[in-house]
Amino acid sequence: MKTEDIELAWPDLVLLNEHHTLSLDEFIKLSGLSQATLQLLVENGALMPSHLPDTIANDSSINTWHFSSHSLISIRTLSRLKRDFELENNSLSLILLYLERIRTLEAQLQHLDNHHDH
Amino acid sequence: MKFKDYYEILGIARTASIDEIKKSYKKLAHQYHPDVTKDPKGEDKFKEIGEAYATLKDKEKRAAYDDLGKHGAGEEFRPPPNWGGGHNQYGQYGQQNGQHSGQNSSQTNPFDDIDLADLFASFSTGKRSGRNQAAAGQDYELAASISLEDAYAGTTLDLSFSVPEQDAQGLVKQVPHTFKARIPKGLTNGTKMLLRGKGGKGFNGGENGNLYLNISFLPHKLFKVIDHDLLIDLPITPWEAALGATVAVPTLTGLVNLKIPAGSKSGQKMRIAKRGMALRAMSKKPDEHGDLLAVIQIVVSSNLSEKELELLTALQEISSFNPRTHFE
Repeated sequence: MKTEDIELAWPDLVLLNEHHTLSLDEFIKLSGLSQATLQLLVENGALMPSHLPDTIANDSSINTWHFSSHSLISIRTLSRLKRDFELENNSLSLILLYLERIRTLEAQLQHLDNHHDH
Repeated sequence: MKFKDYYEILGIARTASIDEIKKSYKKLAHQYHPDVTKDPKGEDKFKEIGEAYATLKDKEKRAAYDDLGKHGAGEEFRPPPNWGGGHNQYGQYGQQNGQHSGQNSSQTNPFDDIDLADLFASFSTGKRSGRNQAAAGQDYELAASISLEDAYAGTTLDLSFSVPEQDAQGLVKQVPHTFKARIPKGLTNGTKMLLRGKGGKGFNGGENGNLYLNISFLPHKLFKVIDHDLLIDLPITPWEAALGATVAVPTLTGLVNLKIPAGSKSGQKMRIAKRGMALRAMSKKPDEHGDLLAVIQIVVSSNLSEKELELLTALQEISSFNPRTHFE
């Protein structure tokens, strides 16, 4: 079988933990969530665009939104949970806030564990 | 094709109502969903549950599944002749299947190496004529463990997984997808990578899916990673601690000589600058590194010679040092 050899570099390779910027279109494609759902998450303060426009509800400004690749990690989990548990849109903001909180706490726990050993 | 008993997987009767199907699926999803459970078998189990639910919740797919008849789980079987009745893309293969069976039973059957999940995933009715519709390829998520040395220097990963692809007849089959991916140096433990377009192939001109790689480090016998810094336990003798010494300390790029000052204490961290992991894998300044922290541990041999014991006893007798004055 032929094995393809791939040199990975931006933009084909994105390290999600680092802060790369993704456009709204890219974010929609990668997250699996619709623009309306993402807009709702932003309006509820659960998701923050990299540069928050002055008026969130202004439809013309939405296309200028950009998101950090970092936030894609929780958003993808949210998207899977929405699909697999057939979740209602109005519960998503709350779930995203909790996912982010769990991620932060897990990172803190890991940090404390590492330092506790020494 | 191997039979899967979707009713058994969901723990329901073949006569179950749609509400019972949903209820059972949701209960099992809470138990096995990989984002919810810590059970390592959860992912495979949930895949099975999801596959069963995707077929049974859809009235037409369920009817087509029921038409396959009842077989034992894992049993090899072929759909009956004219299965699907021509109302879906597999109807014609059902007909072919019937003809083949009649003409030459040893002839290759298009269903032989197909997975039941793929058959129903791409099952299309007259209303949803999905056969020629562009559809994006599937996203995949893989985990890869790499050594610290490979993370430090960059490495090539052999990635291999099965992706569904349409053959010339339009049947969806699992095809091995193998490639070598060179990954940049300086990844950190827990890095999540997105490889655009490296997931499943798109159908009918749809975009390829993406591949997500979760990188974790294999445990190292000497070093521990904290963010971009490396930690190494540095055992020294009591006399090296008391008198000071120069000791060779391993780093990921070879030994360095470290000067231990006289009067060093256990737990004290000696910082060896820029001998840790690269600060950012995608950095434009790839030479920026974290530090190596050597943690001093004063150790005593459990197998001291007579002469050593004699000297230590003499030291004990003449020394007035009390490390516990703060207890008083």
